[in-house]
Amino acid sequence: MRVTQSMLASNSLSYLSKSYEKLGMYQDQLSSGKKITKPSQDPVVAMKGVQYRSNLNDIQQYKRNLSEVYLWMDNSEAGIEQTNNALQRVRELLIQGKNGTLSEDDKQAIGEEIGQLKESVMGIANTQVGGRYIFNGTSVDQPPVTEGNPPVSTINTDPYEVQVSPGVKLQASVNGENVFSSEMFQTLQNIEDTLNGAEDLDMDELLSDLDGNIETMSAERSELGARYNRLEMIETRIDQQEVMSSRVLSENEDIDIERVITDLKTQESVHRAALGVGARIIQPTLLDFLR
Amino acid sequence: MRSTFQGLETAKRGMFAQQTALSVTNNNIANANTPGYSRQRVNFEQTNPYPPSSFNRPDVTGQLGTGVEAGSIQRVRESFLDIQYRGENSKVGYWSTRADAMQQMEEIMNEPSESGLAKTMDQFWSSLQDLSVDPTNQGARSVVRQRGIALAETFNYLSTSLSNIQTDLKNEMEVTEQDANSLLRQIEGINKQISEVEPHGYLPNDLYDRRDVLIDELSQLASVKVEYSGSGGNPSPIAEGLATVKLLDESGSELTTLVSPSGRKDINIQYDGDAVSGISVGGKVILAAEFSSPGKLQGLVEAYGFESEAGDVEGLYPNMLAELDNLAYTFAQAFNTVHEDGMSPNEITNDQTNEDIRFFADASSDDGALGDKAGFASRMTIDDQIRDSLDNIAHAIPNENTGEAEMGDSSNVLALAEVIKNDLAYSEDGSTSFSNYYESVIGAMGVNAQEANRMTENGEQLRSAVEGRRQSVSSVSLDEEMTNMIKFQQAYNSSARMITTVDEMLERIINNMGLVGR
Repeated sequence: MRVTQSMLASNSLSYLSKSYEKLGMYQDQLSSGKKITKPSQDPVVAMKGVQYRSNLNDIQQYKRNLSEVYLWMDNSEAGIEQTNNALQRVRELLIQGKNGTLSEDDKQAIGEEIGQLKESVMGIANTQVGGRYIFNGTSVDQPPVTEGNPPVSTINTDPYEVQVSPGVKLQASVNGENVFSSEMFQTLQNIEDTLNGAEDLDMDELLSDLDGNIETMSAERSELGARYNRLEMIETRIDQQEVMSSRVLSENEDIDIERVITDLKTQESVHRAALGVGARIIQPTLLDFLR
Repeated sequence: MRSTFQGLETAKRGMFAQQTALSVTNNNIANANTPGYSRQRVNFEQTNPYPPSSFNRPDVTGQLGTGVEAGSIQRVRESFLDIQYRGENSKVGYWSTRADAMQQMEEIMNEPSESGLAKTMDQFWSSLQDLSVDPTNQGARSVVRQRGIALAETFNYLSTSLSNIQTDLKNEMEVTEQDANSLLRQIEGINKQISEVEPHGYLPNDLYDRRDVLIDELSQLASVKVEYSGSGGNPSPIAEGLATVKLLDESGSELTTLVSPSGRKDINIQYDGDAVSGISVGGKVILAAEFSSPGKLQGLVEAYGFESEAGDVEGLYPNMLAELDNLAYTFAQAFNTVHEDGMSPNEITNDQTNEDIRFFADASSDDGALGDKAGFASRMTIDDQIRDSLDNIAHAIPNENTGEAEMGDSSNVLALAEVIKNDLAYSEDGSTSFSNYYESVIGAMGVNAQEANRMTENGEQLRSAVEGRRQSVSSVSLDEEMTNMIKFQQAYNSSARMITTVDEMLERIINNMGLVGR
């Protein structure tokens, strides 16, 4: 084959531009950290990328939803704990009040304290978290208990639910009816009235009523505990999923940096060689040797 | 009896011929870097020997050569390689145009990234999830509204950007049309010049070269074939003649003649609305759906959009725009249906009346109702009611029996979020989720662009291989020219020396002969 100077020159140019193209690709990869910057470079990676990103986004969102459930459950737990303490105190006071040796003044004083405890239980029932009443089911804008003697409780028992994974909703609220029922407030009112002397009811019966109320509340608290366990399990699972999803996303589209740097180094020396060869070949012609 | 002076004539002819060859060498060197130049060579021919064979010939021993003449100056070129080159050039023209169009589309779609449509949709979903855990939170509501606006604007941006590129493609198509017609005009002009030179027996090598360059350029725009017919008069037997350029289709059969010695036909692209309806060549219309002549022109027509046989508009850009319209419309409709069924804080406080409030609206209709599917992606917006009040975002599903809804019920927000994940009828083939369908659109675009890139690369490789072979035949090698220069110069010198020798012979005869005994 006949080879001419212009062929060598144009070949040199095309080799150099191909070499630059490769260097450019490695530059893109190293500076973006991604294998591809356009779908056409690898349509499958691009398609999977769209899906994996969406998956990871879902998981991170569910994780954020979980923190809201924790907020509700922690506050509900604290509310029930305080209510339990208050009712236990009422129980102690009631037993003390049953003691026949107490004077009317003493009973009066105990009645006062029970009145205060009733108010504080009402306060707990109307706990707000982020402006929402947490013990009133889905009626988060209405206080579950309103002032009165006894306080009136109108509780929405629809569960306040939060989605924690596709198709799975977790109840964030407790059933307020089991904690702050009208009967409970009635019992407290009865106890207060009886100790005040406003009423004269059988104290033993009141005690068993109160025990009944505490019992119902404990049951609700156990359920909350069980749900809390489930929440923690879900969180563990979601954390694992997040790690897995991130890894899959990264394996799909992130570069193997050592490899790309090695390739870049190789290409760099190829490029130098191409430049050197071009400079050597293009320069001399027969003209240089005809003197 | 031979002439005493014949030697002078032979040597003179030798000097003239070598001088011509040196001039051609000089011209070759001067044009070593001229694009499209084919190296030329002198065809040396022996002059008629003496004596000629005739009845009255002088009786001398054998026929004696009488020297050389420069018979013709011919360019060195292989027309078969031209045909190969033009075939590959057409393919490169087609695929590289397509690859450019696809590259711009990829840049606009910008996937996979942290700012494409998929991400915007994911963020919209996240904002709905955030609202679902806290439906009374005004902050979460306003995030939903803003992300909804962002989604609509992303659709708007993608749609209008693609349309802008489409307009650019139309401009490029018009420029290409002008280019093609200008090339045809120039080829016709050169044909005419050649027809004036060839009858005199000359070889217009420069015109041949210029014509080949023009045909090479034309082959990038569309697939062509060239046939040659002889000039009149007394042309040289190696004259190339006048070119007839024909338009070919994909399979290589002739569609029509573009330029012939008798004239040329203009190419004219015809539009029907936003699509190319046909290509007219000298008044004869080839329907766009049947126009398949690989080259830049076809690449542009297919990217911009053309009328298919069924009468629909097809093409890379119209198809992608239709997919966006389809995604936006199907999604907005399903989302609105769920939104209309739900109850918002305003509806709850307004005596629990469930009104039909849209979330997404059509910017072109007065009441915001979704109009035509075509072009919806560019018109998608948020309903005015949602824009006016955050409390119009429906978060709750009314109780089946009472028809009343609660402020803390987030089930409708979840249902809205589900619309994104649910299978909807985005395509006629069945239902898929938004991300699955969008993924397939992006995948198809990627494969399309990949094919175009690969074919461009292959075509360029083949074209440069053919170009290499063509260069191997036709390009000027300086070493070769220098060798020739030495060769011709030495021959020239030797002929000159012959004259001296003959001169000395004559000197001997005229001045030194017959001096015996002087």
